[in-house]
Amino acid sequence: MRVSQDLVSDVAEVLLTEEQIEVKVAELGRQISADYAGRELTLVSVLKGSLPFMADLMRRISLPLRIDLMEVSSYGGTSTESSGLVRILKDLSAPIDGRDVLIVEDIIDTGLTLNYLIRYLKGKNPQSIKVCSLLNKPARRLVEIQLDYVGFEIPDAFVVGYGLDFGEVYRNLRFVGVLRPEAYES
Amino acid sequence: MDPRDQTEHLPGGVADQETPRGAHSDPAFAHASEAEFGRILDFYQVAWEYEPQVFPILWDLEGNLLESFAPDFYLPDLELFIELTTLQQRLVRKKNRKVRRLRELYPGLRIKLFYARDFRALMLKYGRAALVSELSGTLGQVTPRQDEDGSTEPEDRLDALDRAAADGGDTDRAEPDSTAGPHPHYERRSRGARRRAVRRAAAAAAQTPDT
Repeated sequence: MRVSQDLVSDVAEVLLTEEQIEVKVAELGRQISADYAGRELTLVSVLKGSLPFMADLMRRISLPLRIDLMEVSSYGGTSTESSGLVRILKDLSAPIDGRDVLIVEDIIDTGLTLNYLIRYLKGKNPQSIKVCSLLNKPARRLVEIQLDYVGFEIPDAFVVGYGLDFGEVYRNLRFVGVLRPEAYES
Repeated sequence: MDPRDQTEHLPGGVADQETPRGAHSDPAFAHASEAEFGRILDFYQVAWEYEPQVFPILWDLEGNLLESFAPDFYLPDLELFIELTTLQQRLVRKKNRKVRRLRELYPGLRIKLFYARDFRALMLKYGRAALVSELSGTLGQVTPRQDEDGSTEPEDRLDALDRAAADGGDTDRAEPDSTAGPHPHYERRSRGARRRAVRRAAAAAAQTPDT
């Protein structure tokens, strides 16, 4: 994998500018603040991709809230064993029973990880579970899941930046862009 | 009797009684990409069955079954069939037609076609892009399909229709066209063949130097 030093050279097209993201995150924050007024909200961020979105979104929500972090192993990510099962690499640090949980995701494509996560969190008896994703890529969906808050629907392209990676790189780009095929085919 | 009544229950057709719901102990996958897809579903703990049901999709005028279709995967918890098409374009066309026919005949059934580009994107997402060339296309073939009697799967009816269409035969019509005009050869070609002929003529015209 060859990565350009400025990262930007590996991006074929800027899909969402920093300004567009900022405006959308503020809009989502206002909507969530209105919907959850007077309730016990816990934002659960799914590492690592949703970190920038979580950091920006929580500061746009004008309610008392808790945050928590989870990390789930990805297929082929840590092990190539064919018999492997998804694992919780980092669990919640506090109970969520009776609380309103909002899962904060960077992108939903197949829905496989989110489907697993929702089933797992339901076992912890929250008051409610909803999903907020910055990006939605419906073309790749295998598991239909209701997304309660969506920033942008994006086309069927491999995107990086604002938390999204390829090979753990490009997360620190301030925008969301389409990765040049040469970057992942090399 | 409506030939579709040959199916035994919704949402599917003829259930394979030897395959219990949700069980998939080492099925004989036809393609390595299917095995990989099964492993992905296992990883995320999504229950699946491999080719659990066969759907009749084409009959002759007497109601005799000509063609069936068994989608690759059924995800019972999601009530979703998935068909992987990681093979050559000719086979993709065939599968597209089968799925279209399936949707017409069984409108309540949910089926998703998973194309080669979808599979490639999935592998890329999971950092297994290097596997794509091994798992897709003809290289991914594991074993030739075999019928119960051990013979290899014959070319199916729709495939034969597709092949005939590529050869210029009239395959889209179920019955001969008795209203053929003064250009029978042209009239007998399928729409696809006619389009290809027009494209070839246009390309030839474009290459003709101005005089």
